[in-house]
Amino acid sequence: MGANPAENHPISFRWLTKAKENGGKIISVDPRYTRTSAVSDIYAPLRSGSDIAFMGGMIKYAIDNNLFHKDYVVNYTNASFIVADTFSFNDGLFSGYDEATRTYDNTKWTIATNEDGTPKKDPSLQNPRTVFQLMKQHYSRYDVDTVSGVTGTPKKDLLNVYKTFCATSQVGKAGTILYAMGTTQHTVGSQNVRAFAIIQMLLGNMGIPGGGINAMRGESNVQGSTDFGLLWDNLTGYLGAPKASVPEHATLAGYLAKETPPTGFWSNKPKFVVSLLKAWYGDNATDKNEFGYQFLPKGNKNYSHINLFKAMYNKELEGAFLWGTNPVVGGPNAGKEKEALGNLKWMVAVDLWETETAAFWKKEAGSDPSKINTEVFLLPASASFEKEGSVSNSSRWMQYRWKAIDSRGEARPDLDIVHELALKLKKLYANSPKPADKPFLALTWDYGTGEAPDLDKVAKEINGYDLKTGKLLPGILAILDDGSTSSGNWIYAGFYPEEGKNRSKSRDNTDPGSHNYLNWSYAWPANRRILYNRASADPSGKPWSQEKAVIWWDAAAKSWVGNDVPDFKAVLSPSEPGGTGAFMMNKDGVGLLFAPTMKDGPFPEHYEPFESPAKNKFSSVELNPAVVINDGDFNKKGFKVDYPIIATTYRVEAHWQSGSMTRNQEWLSEIARYMFVEISEELAKEKGIKNKDKIIVESARGKITAYAMVTKRYKPFEVNGKKVHQVGMPWNFGYKGYATGDIANRLTPHIGDANTMIPEYKAFLCDIRRAD
Amino acid sequence: MAEFVKYVDVTRCDGCKACMVACKNWNDLPAEVTEFQGSVQSHSKTSADTWNVLQYIEHENGKGDLEYLFRHSSCMHCKEAACEKVCPENAISYSKFGSVVIDHDKCVGCGYCVENCPFEVISLKTYKDKNGKEYKKSQKCTMCTDRLEEGLQPACVTTCHTDAMQFGKKDEMLARAQKRLAQIKDRFPNANIYNPQGVGGTHTIYVLAEKPSVYGLPEAPKVPTSAVVWKDYAQPIGKAMIGATTMAVVGAFITNSIISKRNNHDEDGGGSHE
Amino acid sequence: MSNYQKHPKANEQIRRFPKAFVWAHAINGLAFFALYITALPMYTEFFDWLYPVLGGPANARLLHRIFAVVFISPTFILLVFSPKFFFHWMKELITWKKRDLQFFTEFVKELFGFNFKHIRQTFFNAGEKINSVIQIFCAILVIASGFTMWFPDFFPRALVQWGYFLHNVGFGLGIAVIVGHIYLSVVHKHSRPGYSGVVTGKVPAWWAKGHYPDWYDEEVKKGNFPNLDDPKHKKNKGA
Repeated sequence: MGANPAENHPISFRWLTKAKENGGKIISVDPRYTRTSAVSDIYAPLRSGSDIAFMGGMIKYAIDNNLFHKDYVVNYTNASFIVADTFSFNDGLFSGYDEATRTYDNTKWTIATNEDGTPKKDPSLQNPRTVFQLMKQHYSRYDVDTVSGVTGTPKKDLLNVYKTFCATSQVGKAGTILYAMGTTQHTVGSQNVRAFAIIQMLLGNMGIPGGGINAMRGESNVQGSTDFGLLWDNLTGYLGAPKASVPEHATLAGYLAKETPPTGFWSNKPKFVVSLLKAWYGDNATDKNEFGYQFLPKGNKNYSHINLFKAMYNKELEGAFLWGTNPVVGGPNAGKEKEALGNLKWMVAVDLWETETAAFWKKEAGSDPSKINTEVFLLPASASFEKEGSVSNSSRWMQYRWKAIDSRGEARPDLDIVHELALKLKKLYANSPKPADKPFLALTWDYGTGEAPDLDKVAKEINGYDLKTGKLLPGILAILDDGSTSSGNWIYAGFYPEEGKNRSKSRDNTDPGSHNYLNWSYAWPANRRILYNRASADPSGKPWSQEKAVIWWDAAAKSWVGNDVPDFKAVLSPSEPGGTGAFMMNKDGVGLLFAPTMKDGPFPEHYEPFESPAKNKFSSVELNPAVVINDGDFNKKGFKVDYPIIATTYRVEAHWQSGSMTRNQEWLSEIARYMFVEISEELAKEKGIKNKDKIIVESARGKITAYAMVTKRYKPFEVNGKKVHQVGMPWNFGYKGYATGDIANRLTPHIGDANTMIPEYKAFLCDIRRAD
Repeated sequence: MAEFVKYVDVTRCDGCKACMVACKNWNDLPAEVTEFQGSVQSHSKTSADTWNVLQYIEHENGKGDLEYLFRHSSCMHCKEAACEKVCPENAISYSKFGSVVIDHDKCVGCGYCVENCPFEVISLKTYKDKNGKEYKKSQKCTMCTDRLEEGLQPACVTTCHTDAMQFGKKDEMLARAQKRLAQIKDRFPNANIYNPQGVGGTHTIYVLAEKPSVYGLPEAPKVPTSAVVWKDYAQPIGKAMIGATTMAVVGAFITNSIISKRNNHDEDGGGSHE
Repeated sequence: MSNYQKHPKANEQIRRFPKAFVWAHAINGLAFFALYITALPMYTEFFDWLYPVLGGPANARLLHRIFAVVFISPTFILLVFSPKFFFHWMKELITWKKRDLQFFTEFVKELFGFNFKHIRQTFFNAGEKINSVIQIFCAILVIASGFTMWFPDFFPRALVQWGYFLHNVGFGLGIAVIVGHIYLSVVHKHSRPGYSGVVTGKVPAWWAKGHYPDWYDEEVKKGNFPNLDDPKHKKNKGA
C-alpha cells in the first residue's frame, strides 16, 4: 500500500515472490493497477489521499469482527490505558486546537495517571475512556459504505482486503505492510503510517518475523541519512534539535529535562546527547561549557525543504550547497523552486552530472541567463561504486562497501569534498574573533590532513570511545553522560566494538536461526534484526507460536535467549516490573494505539488532500487542521471547478529519483525514454485523447506536455456517488541527459505533512487536454 | 551432452526490464532510439541491437478481469530452427547446448533467416567497414553461448531477481514448468507450457499465463512449408538438374566428337558444314 | 539440307532477327550470366570464393540487384523498338502442331550426334519454343519472387517466404535450360550458325532453309530470301 515495489524496489520483490511461493498472499492497494498489482493475489483500487479512510475501515472491521490479538493488545499496547478527560474529538477536530496558529496543544491528550505516575488502566478494556473504547468509537464512523464512498474502492474489494489481512491476527500468522512515498507524501503522511501501526498492533504483527511496518526506501542510503541527522529537526541519532522557540532549550540542562522521558529507554537520552557533543567538540566540550551545547544552532525557523525554498524565494538566503539533490526536477512546485534558486548569490552543486538544478540558469532551462546573478559552482562527485563507505538499508543494516572502480576525471567522493572544505575553512577562519565563527572553530576534525579523510577514523567516531582509556565503546549501554565517553551516533554504538572489528564489514551469510543472519553486516541498535522482538513472546516469555519464535525467556539461564538479539533488557524476567514492556523505547513500554506525540491528533483521522475534488465525508474539516498552509504566489491552489482530475506522481523502474543518474545512462534511457501521463480509457474518451497523443496537463501551478498513455489500469473512481478521474505520471524526467521530458513537479503543490513537512506529491488537482 | 533450456515463467516476472539491460551490457549492444509505444514497453519487438524485449500486455480475461501480463521475448532457440534451415551459408548452427547461433564470419546478411523465423526475432544490422562501405549481418539472442561455455548462465537469467527465468537441463526445467502450471491454473485457466513441437520444441520454454496468441506468439509455429520445399526439395533438385543438364551437354559433346570422327561425312540429317 | 550448301546463293546472309532482338538477347543473356555469377556463392557454398572476387557479399548483392534491373529491361527494349517481332515471337510460342512434337525425338538424336531427320519447322523450332516458354516462365518466377525478396517489407511474410522457394525453382529450372541453350548455340556443330544469327541478326541462307524451311519458304514467297530450291536437286522433305 502506497508502494509499488515491483517497479520501484525490485530487489525487495524477489523476497515477496518467495513469500508467495511459501503460501503468502500479496495485497496491492493502489490508485492504479501497477506491476505490483499484476503479481499480487488481491488488488484494491483506492483514490489518492484516502488511505486513512481505508485503514480506519480496517481498524473498525478488526474490532467489530473480533479479529484482533486480544492478549497482545492488552499487554503490549496502551489499549487499556485511561485517557484524561481533557481529550475529546468533535467534527474532525481533537481537543486543544488553536485555529489561529493551526496547532494543537497535545498536553490535552494525556493518559490519566495514578499518584505514582503510572498510567490508569482497565485491562478488561470496557471502560469507555480506555484507549481501546475511544479508538473503537473514533473508527465507528468508518463503516464500509462510508469508506467505500470516500476511497472509491468497491465494497467487495475492501472487504476482501480487510478479511485477508485481519486473518493475520491469528497466532502463528504474520502480516507486514510495505509502504513507500505513496503513503508518506501527503498532508496526512505521518498519520497514514500511524494507521498502519494501529492495525499492526491490533493484529499482533509487531515484533514477529514477517510482521512489522516496512518503509521501502527510495534511496539506498535514506535510512543512513536520517540515522545521521540529515532531517532538519534532528540531531544525529534521532535526538531532537534544540529550538529557540522552546524556552527550556536555552540550556543543556533545560533541554535534557524537557526532552527526556522518565521511563523507557529514552530515559538514557542525556547520555546520548552529551556523548554526541563530545564526539563533535572533543576537548572543547566540558562540563564547564555544557559540553559545547551552546555551539549548536538553535534557529527558530523550520528548515524543511519547502521552507528553505520559501526563504530562498523571499530572498532570505544568500547561498546554498545542493549536494546530490535536484530540486528543479524533484522539488514540489518545481517551477517556483527554480525561480527561487535565482535569488541566491551563490550556489554550489555537487553531483555526478550537470543536473537540471546545476543548469537552472541556462537557456535550456527556460531561464534568461542575463537576468540571473547567481554564481554557480559545479563540483563533480563520485558515484557510489567509485568510493568506499557504508550504506544503511531499510532493515537498519549498516553494510560496508568497497570501491569497485576509480572515479573519472576530477570527480571525488562527497566525503573528500567535505573534508577538504572543512580543512580549508578552518584555516581561513583560524584567527577569527567573531563569536559566530566559534562553533565552527570548536568543531573537532581529526580525520587526517590528506585530501581524503581517514574513513576508519570516521567509523570509529560514530561508534564512540571511552575517553578515559581511549578504547572503542562496546555498545550503547557503555555510553555515559559525564563527558567520559563520546559517540558520534549512539544508535550505532557497538558496531565497531574493538580495534579491527568493523562489524558493518561482516559477511557471514549462514543463518543461525529465524532467517536473521546475525553475522551479516550490522543492524542498529545492538545488531538486533527484529525490533520489539519481545512482543514475539507472550507476557510469560513463551513464544506466541513456535513457528514465529524469535526470543524467549530461559528461566534456568535467567536470560532472554533465541535467534535474535533481544530488544529488551536481556536479564529482565517476565515477572519483574517492566518485564512485559515489549516496546521499551516508549514510556511505559507499550505500543501507542493512542499517540499523543503526534502534531495532528492521537488517532489518525481522514482529511482531504490540499487539493481534492471531494468533500470530506467524515467531518466539516477538509484539510488536516495542523498543516502549515503556504499560499500566495509561492503556492497557488487549484479548485475542482478548474481542475477536476486527481493527479499523482511516481517513478518508473529505469529511472532513479530525479533521473540525473539514470537519464545519463543510455541503456536505462532506452528502456524508459519518454515522459508520459497514464489516463483511463474512460477519461481519454471524454477528452478525445488517443493513445500516444501529446497532451497538456495543467495545475494551478504550471503546465507540462507529455505523451498520453491510455490504459485499462486506471479506472475512474466513484467517490460519494460521483465519477472522479485520476491520472498519474512519473516525476523522473527533466531536460538533461539522453531521456528527456517535462518536469512533473511543476504541477505539484508546496504543502507538507503536519509532522514531517514531506510535500504532498501524491494527490493534487489538474486538468488535461490534447496538445494540438 | 544434455539439452539445456531457458525456462521463463511469465507469472513470476514483475516486468522490471533488467533482462534487457543485462543483455545489452553483456553483449555490448548500443542503445536504440525507439518511438513512444503507448505503453511502458520500450521497443515494439526485438531488433538487431535489442535481443530481448519485455512485453507489457493489458488483457481482459474471460471473466472480464484485467490481467497485466509481462513476457520476456527473445530468440526461442528452436530445436528445428527455420533460420538454420534457410541459411545459404551454413552460418547458423546449433551449439552443443542446443542454442542456435550465428557465425558472423560466415553470415552474408542475406536476411533469409529474418524472413523465415516463425517468431520474428532475427534482424539485420547494417555496419560500415573501415572504408565506409556498408555490409549487413544477422543478429539475435545467442542465449549467451559464450557465457555457457564458461560455465555461466545467460546474462538475463543471472540478473532476474524473481527467478522468473532459470536455466538448466531440459527435463528438469520441463518438470518445473509442469509443477508451476498446476499451481497457477486456478488463477490462469488458460495457462500453458509453450514448447512448440512444430519446430521440434524450443530451448526457451515458457509457462504462459494466457494463450500464446495473447502474447503475439504463434499458436502452432513451424518451419515454413515454403522453407521445407525450398531447402529440402527445390534446391537439391535444382542442383541435380543443373548437374544433369551439364552432364547431358558434356555427354553430347563427347558423343558428337566420337561420332563425327567415325563417320567423318554426313548422312541424311547428320548435316555438317565443314 | 547439305544440298542447299551447294547452291550459289547458299552462303548469302539473310536477316533472321531484328537489331532490337539482338540487343535484347545480348543484354538479357549477359544479365542472366551476371545474375548467375553474383548469386552463385549464395546458392552453393562451393562457390564462396566468388565473394572476395565480387567485392564481398554486400557488393555481390548490390551487383545482383543492378543486373536484376538490367535483366528486366530487354522486354521493354523489344516492346519499344520491335513490337512486331515481339508479338510474332509470342504467337509462335502459343502455336503448337504435330510436327513440334515430332521434332523432339529427332532432336535427341541430333543432340548426341546420331543420324536424324529434320522435321519442317516454322520461324522457331519446337526446341526453341520450349526454351523460350521455359525461360519466360522462369523469368517471371524469378523476377516476381525477386521483388518480394528485395522489398520484403512491402509484401506479406508468407509471400516473401514462398518467394525464396520460387526464386530458387525459377533459377534452377532456368539454368538447366540455359546450359542446353548455350551448348546448342555455341558448341553444338549443327546449331552453330544460329549463334552468329543471334549476334549479328543474320544467318547463312542454306542454314535457315535447312532449319526453318516453312519460314524460309514463306519469306521466299515474299521475295525476301533467295530461293534455294534448285530443281536439279531433290527437295528434301521431312518425313
